[in-house]
Amino acid sequence: MGEAPLSWPDGNDRVPYWIYTDQGNYERELEKIFYGPVWNYVGLECEIPNPGDFKRTQIGDQSIIVVRDAEGGVNALVNRCAHRGVKICEQDKGSFSEIMCPYHQWTYDLKGNLQGVPFHRGVKGNGGMPADFSMADNGLDVLKVHVRNGGIFATMSDKTPPFETYMGNRILGYYDRELDGRSLSLLGHSRQRIGANWKLMLENIKDTHHASLLHVFFVTFGLFRVDNDSRVEMDDTGLHTALSSIRGKQELNDGTAQMRSFDSNLALNDPSLLDVVREFDGDQTVVMQTLWPNVILQQQSNTLATRQIVPKGPNSFELHWTFFGYEDDDEEMTARRLRQANLMGPAGLVSMDDGQILERTQEGILAHPNEQGVVELGGRGTDDADHMVTEVALRAFYKGYRNVMGL
Amino acid sequence: MTITPELRSEIADLANAYALAIDDGELDRWPRFFASDCLYKIIAKENFDSGLPLGLLMCDSQGMLQDRMEAFSKLNVFGPRSWRHMLGAVYTTGSEKEISARTNFVIFETLAGKDTHILCAGEYRDIIIREHGALKFRERLCVYDTTMIPNSIVRPI
Repeated sequence: MGEAPLSWPDGNDRVPYWIYTDQGNYERELEKIFYGPVWNYVGLECEIPNPGDFKRTQIGDQSIIVVRDAEGGVNALVNRCAHRGVKICEQDKGSFSEIMCPYHQWTYDLKGNLQGVPFHRGVKGNGGMPADFSMADNGLDVLKVHVRNGGIFATMSDKTPPFETYMGNRILGYYDRELDGRSLSLLGHSRQRIGANWKLMLENIKDTHHASLLHVFFVTFGLFRVDNDSRVEMDDTGLHTALSSIRGKQELNDGTAQMRSFDSNLALNDPSLLDVVREFDGDQTVVMQTLWPNVILQQQSNTLATRQIVPKGPNSFELHWTFFGYEDDDEEMTARRLRQANLMGPAGLVSMDDGQILERTQEGILAHPNEQGVVELGGRGTDDADHMVTEVALRAFYKGYRNVMGL
Repeated sequence: MTITPELRSEIADLANAYALAIDDGELDRWPRFFASDCLYKIIAKENFDSGLPLGLLMCDSQGMLQDRMEAFSKLNVFGPRSWRHMLGAVYTTGSEKEISARTNFVIFETLAGKDTHILCAGEYRDIIIREHGALKFRERLCVYDTTMIPNSIVRPI
């Protein structure tokens, strides 16, 4: 967008559209956010249960290998051979005992240490590496990793605060509610590419009231609706958010009366989809956490999932869903989680609408970088709310985003 | 109890009629292709190959098929589009009583004002039975190879 002024309007109740479309801003986000002092979500321990198990993932534009070593530790390694830069690992997941680059067979252990270089000592007295070549200095780039109750996070910066400080007690409380230390069992993945800026995905979860208007399925069956008892809570930075809510009834009240999509007569032919059992302390049937910068940790009824956001330039992102349960789930509970998974993912009864609307948002704003969005529902402040009729979590988010980006 | 040429052609008709009903937007016909006791599941190849149970979409009763059909038709929000199922030849094994079939598919999706793209590629893995005289899917697994679904799947496949 060339020379257009990239400035922020007064206050957090207006969001300029160039932050969703500008290539330069995207590149600054990679440096200041994803490669900066943050804890990026990279997966769940149940994806790599045994020594040697690995998965490939991404932080910003960089390919990352997450692997369990022989001692049971979890390592995050940049997927780039120290020799000539080859992307070593092409598989999405699997198991290996060592990591070998196919090009010249430089070989690394599961902690990323360089173990072997062919022809290191030369052949018949010819060639070989210089005597002072350092194996220790030529390992894979290693990220700092933190594992908490089965969730794996990694950071590229030395300045990242300890994980607990980074999340704050309030968000950690919600985190530990879902990832409570029990072993997790992996149910599967879904992956989709959405032609929208990555921040719009976080916003979508922080924007509490759209669910009552866009998602007819939610609205009708009361799974998530403005008239539900609910809370919107942020950490001190405003970047992490936890939304929690208690399922409402299929009834007509002053909330549902304002929703053009509400139909009190709709009934499911197979109500087993909504056969929800209480499994956590407290009455909340929905807790959606957006953990800065790249993951949504969610409970909707009995379906549990993470959604990892992988940015792909300013105008696109990938959403990698991982659905899970607990190792102590009985067969009935697993069946329930799998049935309720129909709500979510690229064909989700609910989340399908989000993928569609986010792409339309991007299309709407693409040609208008200097226009701005209005975020005034529930006032102009950034304090917690005990209801959903508010865009407060968006204002708090952009307060935090401006701090991080220096805007 | 072998699969005769006549039966083979009846199975091919079922596969084609199913795809056409969806491409024609006649979703109300979709549940009728299934047996009264049925399983329909769209599943990523990565899950299928690893023995992970998660479906992108899963219906294990006629009621769930009906509910999905109504959601696709009335509740979900998405823009206008055309779909074309391209089917490979049906490969059948098993017996007349319980037919196993595998069919490759590619679905082309065309959104209003945009280029045609591939929505997904994969294969149907079916178990087909005869119920009240007609062939029905007792089980239809749609195993898709596509790593990243372009946005969403807004109809059954």
